[in-house]
Amino acid sequence: MNLEKVIFGFFVVLALTLNFGFFLGEMDNPAHHNVFELFAVILVNFIATGLKLGDRSQIGAVLLATSLVADLQLIAAIMYWTYAVHIIQMGLTPAVTSSIVSLSGGALLANIVSTIILVTETLMSRL
Amino acid sequence: MSGAVDLGRVTFIVMREMRWPLIMIICVYAVSILGMVFTPGIPDVITGKPQHMSIFHAFYFMTYTATTTGFGEIPLEFSNAQRLWAMVCLYISVIAWLYAVGAIIHLLQNPFFIRALSEWQFSRRVRHIHSPFFIICGFGDTGSVLARNLSDYGLPCSVIDINEERIKALQLRNYNVAMPGLCGDASVPKHLIDAGLMLPNCKKIIAITSNEEVNLKISALARILNPNICIITMSKVEVFEDTLATLGGEVHIVDPFKTFAKVLSAAMHHPGFSTLNKWLVREKGATLDYYVHPPMGKWIICGYGRMGYEVNRVFAKYGIETAIIDPNTNNKSGVDNYIIGRATAKTLVTAKIDDAIGILAGTNDDGHNLGILLNSRHFNPNIFTILRQNHHQNEMAFISSNADMIMQPTLVTARRILFLLIAPLLKVFFHYLMEDKPERMQEMEAVIINLKQTIGTKKPHLITIHFKPENSKAVIDALNAGKDVTLGDLMRDPDNRNRNLELVFFVVKSGDKVIVLPPNDYKIKPHDQLLFCGTASAQRLFNATINSEYKLFYIQNGVFMPRSWIAQWLVKKTNRIGV
Repeated sequence: MNLEKVIFGFFVVLALTLNFGFFLGEMDNPAHHNVFELFAVILVNFIATGLKLGDRSQIGAVLLATSLVADLQLIAAIMYWTYAVHIIQMGLTPAVTSSIVSLSGGALLANIVSTIILVTETLMSRL
Repeated sequence: MSGAVDLGRVTFIVMREMRWPLIMIICVYAVSILGMVFTPGIPDVITGKPQHMSIFHAFYFMTYTATTTGFGEIPLEFSNAQRLWAMVCLYISVIAWLYAVGAIIHLLQNPFFIRALSEWQFSRRVRHIHSPFFIICGFGDTGSVLARNLSDYGLPCSVIDINEERIKALQLRNYNVAMPGLCGDASVPKHLIDAGLMLPNCKKIIAITSNEEVNLKISALARILNPNICIITMSKVEVFEDTLATLGGEVHIVDPFKTFAKVLSAAMHHPGFSTLNKWLVREKGATLDYYVHPPMGKWIICGYGRMGYEVNRVFAKYGIETAIIDPNTNNKSGVDNYIIGRATAKTLVTAKIDDAIGILAGTNDDGHNLGILLNSRHFNPNIFTILRQNHHQNEMAFISSNADMIMQPTLVTARRILFLLIAPLLKVFFHYLMEDKPERMQEMEAVIINLKQTIGTKKPHLITIHFKPENSKAVIDALNAGKDVTLGDLMRDPDNRNRNLELVFFVVKSGDKVIVLPPNDYKIKPHDQLLFCGTASAQRLFNATINSEYKLFYIQNGVFMPRSWIAQWLVKKTNRIGV
């Protein structure tokens, strides 16, 4: 058993599940999307990215790329949230909420790709 | 280079053939358009002057009329004068088009044009092969077996054969790699150059046409055109072999009968050898359990051609008594027991078949060889039989004949050439095993038992690995970093190092030194060549190990190499070597 793989797999899958949890719910209803959940998603995604740094293999490079995409999407989402709620003080209107959720949806897709690559790599080495 | 010349030739032919049709179309268009412009149209309602078509509108009108599309009277309704001219335009332009189309079809049917086009396409496909490739001249039984096997090993070839049907058959076959084929005479330099003889990634040329003189000519041309190329050719005539040997450079001459005689002589002394050989060439139904052991005693040779001659020489070397039956009276000199005539019941009795121990049916007639087998079994049911099979199509009959050994010259040649191409070190290995030393017998036994245990009934693959940065990056990096990599390490399964891969190491060539059956603690050096036999999955895993530093680290240390910077830092902090 490779301990690094266990930790790595844990964070990659956790990033996916948290992201899915945040994405779930009515698109424009702020009551369905918790700010702390988004915070957790970003935290776990950053840790997952950190764990991917330094791998010199081909698959490692692709995993890092997908992880960076997810980070970018989530950073955009949280920046928009901050801008809407605190800077122009518009509050979480349906339009703002749906923008944030759709950005997190993009991150979800990147996380799904990450997980698929991880599973494929594991299966490939079994062959 | 020559591709450009060919392209020039094809375009030149097209342009020359299309010259008159094109000029005719241009003239017809010019006349029609000008006529249309000058013909007066319907008078303008306001000024009363006849309106004229512009050149643009006239060209538009001709475009849809000449191609018989016919949109109608655009942009204005025509006057009767314009309608009259439109009819003229329609008829002459349609005729001009038909003439042009006819000329194109005529050109496409021209056999010389078809030839130029196929040569151009062939040379273009050859130039699209980027990996090392071989040229095969002659796509008969030998060539097709060879091409099939090379395709299984992922090695592309360009093929030339004089017979169009064979090239058509080649194009229909389903190969894993590019196999462009050209129908043409392989002893024409242009065809050899089209096949890629001068390209830097063309490594070897294999001349195996059915004509010995053509093979010789191809070999000489290849040597002149490309001094570095390795030439492999088939020859059954001694005179040609002498000439071929003086060509210089790397030349291999494959003689199926000599090869077979060698296998036969090896089988007589080392029972395991022919079993091993048959299994490695993946002969149908070959297993490592069944040993063929031609007995010593009195032998009858039917047919004293090339095969009979070579086999008789082997027998003479071992002091085996032979009787030869052949209708040809010229070869009699130097042979003690020579019976003139066809091998029939009568001549077989004269040759004392009942106390013979073995018989070789080696004529160049398959039906006759099978007949000899049946006749001899009638007189002596326990006789050891060797059959020569000349044509691949008779395979079913030969398999059902239950002969002890079947020799197909085409297959023997194809396999010998295949070994030269994919496993040049195998020759060293076989030489070693057949040396006349008492311990060799046990070593061969040990190899066979080892192969039986590791590979068993799976398909054997012979794999040659040249340890270079391009194909074994991880190993070379480890060696450059001052670490040792042993063969025993590489033998481990990269998924679970306590298991070994299904492979057996045969030979390591390190510089000029050759180590047969290398020990597991042999330390690999850069540019070593390694020959091993393994299953397809073992080959894949082996390639994964020698190319991935992570896998190599795991099989060497039993722990995983930290991949991320965080894990690397942690491992360093805790003074461990891996996770």
